Amino acid sequence: MNPLPTRNIQLALRRADFQSASEMLDYAAQGETGVTFYNAKGDVLSVLPWREVRERAHVVARKLIGAGFAAGDRLLITADTWPGFFDAFFGAQYAGLIPVPVSVPVGIGGKDAYLDQLRRQFASSGAVAAIGIDDLAGFLADAVAEFSAVRLHGGMAAIEALPEKPVDLRPLGPGDLCYLQFSSGSTRYPHGVQITQRALIANLVGMTGPAGLDIGAGDRAVSWLPLYHDMGLIGFLMGPLSHQCSIDYLTPRDFARRPMQWLGLISRNRATISYSPSFGFDLATRRGGQHVPADLDLSCWRRAGIGGDMIRADVLDRFAEAFGPAGFDRKVFIPSYGMAEVCLAITFSPKDVGVRTDTVDRAALADLQRAVPAADPQDNRRARRFVICGHVLPGHRLEVRNPTGKVLGDRDLGRIFVQGPSVMPGYFNEPQASREVLGPDGWLDTGDLGYMLAGEVVVTGRAKDLIIVNGRNVWPQDIEWAIEGKRIVKIGDSVAFSIETDDGERVVVAVVARVSDEEARANLARDVAGAVRETVAVDCDVVLVAPSVGLPTTSSGKLSRAHAKANFLAGLFAPKPAAA
Amino acid sequence: MNNGTADIFELHGKVSRATVIEEICLQLAPFQAGEQPITGETVISKDLTIDSLAVMDMVMELEDRFDVSIPMNVVAEIHTVDELTETILELRAKR
Repeated sequence: MNPLPTRNIQLALRRADFQSASEMLDYAAQGETGVTFYNAKGDVLSVLPWREVRERAHVVARKLIGAGFAAGDRLLITADTWPGFFDAFFGAQYAGLIPVPVSVPVGIGGKDAYLDQLRRQFASSGAVAAIGIDDLAGFLADAVAEFSAVRLHGGMAAIEALPEKPVDLRPLGPGDLCYLQFSSGSTRYPHGVQITQRALIANLVGMTGPAGLDIGAGDRAVSWLPLYHDMGLIGFLMGPLSHQCSIDYLTPRDFARRPMQWLGLISRNRATISYSPSFGFDLATRRGGQHVPADLDLSCWRRAGIGGDMIRADVLDRFAEAFGPAGFDRKVFIPSYGMAEVCLAITFSPKDVGVRTDTVDRAALADLQRAVPAADPQDNRRARRFVICGHVLPGHRLEVRNPTGKVLGDRDLGRIFVQGPSVMPGYFNEPQASREVLGPDGWLDTGDLGYMLAGEVVVTGRAKDLIIVNGRNVWPQDIEWAIEGKRIVKIGDSVAFSIETDDGERVVVAVVARVSDEEARANLARDVAGAVRETVAVDCDVVLVAPSVGLPTTSSGKLSRAHAKANFLAGLFAPKPAAA
Repeated sequence: MNNGTADIFELHGKVSRATVIEEICLQLAPFQAGEQPITGETVISKDLTIDSLAVMDMVMELEDRFDVSIPMNVVAEIHTVDELTETILELRAKR
């Protein structure tokens, strides 16, 4: 099987000038482009032209409507990267149902945790039907047992078995929702972000337009990003679809297994657009940077976006160095910033200039909430380098405010607020949680900290994770990176947070202890405390966590500091009593 | 077409239970906790000093080596070395 073509033969390019997801698909279906699925070896598993996506979705829609599902009913879909996701997601679009994409289980022995998460998502979304890959049909059955409202569940066969009735389609229109997005970082109390058709289109227009990635004729996307995240689903399904582009997909699992297949696909298919959080660039560099295949040619890659986590300039530097000889041009990096509450993206760095950073004085940032340029940018103990994330999309506004709500000027550190047509109307059925982040004036509190720099935003971290010691702001990432940077523990094996004590905030660092004898444990704790003191200049309590307990992560695999703190306070990290 | 290096190490034909256990123990050896030997009853994510990412790396290594693909729902229900061994043998038998 050959991958689908990059260009349509006759169909004229339309640039996201649609009113809904189904309208985008209706138009793209008139061409020859579409999506191609690959396995970990880089072989084509299946191809699905947009035309076929639409035809299959129509069949699914008539079956769902025929089965009596009402407009607005929620359909939960396990969002693995497979053709069935397209059938179910777009079938729902044409049937007037609201899709609820959810993650797939990862890891050995993870069944119970996954079922817990599914149950919370059923409760939160009120879904009345659930479709998954065949392998997960059993888990769906287990999870829905206590939800009597769920009338249909199983693999794609559950939908296929429904009779196709001669009913009219009732596509979700401009005034409707498009889907519910469970944002990362909310596994315990998931909030479904309401992605409206209008906000989606507004965000796509910005993201794909000249102020964003500037997608045009001849562009081709490659993605391994999970479709249960906004970056995967909106960025790398809706985005290319809005411009009738072809997409080549690897599953996130296969990317983790063979990260070089990501770059191989870009090279072979002469793809132009691909995105990843910093860790994806890191993984590719670590696994493939030493032995870059001679035939790898990344000179076609013209937009290498970074988003989804705190952008790490050092990681991107290493990637560019490793793959520069293979034609990768570091100028194609586009740092960007966003969140599910604005659909996906809110700022993009300018094109063709690469990663730009601002190196500031750590002490001034911590003590004065000012981003003062560092006297010696090379001095890592006194200087901190942040990536500049670009201008807010046209038609949107972004402000950095202090705790009293005053809008701050350049280089003053505060909380980032955004407003505009991409902002969500609220979380689904969660008025209280919605009010906490969304003002009556439509401004969204992103919960992120940052500062402005000549009209661009510099994101410095999450406000809620921020540690304040003796009036100084300390970023938990800084503490974790200090420990990882000294290779005392590996990436992801340490997490920093603060607890309130009578003497103010106290920093706690929990590290996974992969050594068992007492002396080695004592050394580990001493090394960690030493590294933190040396690099970040705060004292901390070190808690050693047994590998079997581990550190809590969000659905996207990021460390959850809030959850780690809760575990610590609950006594879950207490050391086991020494063997008698 | 597959030019991956994994093929060089891939096992062909029938494999015995002992071979599978031996391979799993080899993969898990770096994560042995103290003096406690790795046996069939060893609970992979509890009794060893292995984190979830390393577990998935190990599962992928085993999949490549024995040329099987363990479905994600099956992986989610595996706890012990014995269960992992049985899974691989069953999938081999179905090939």
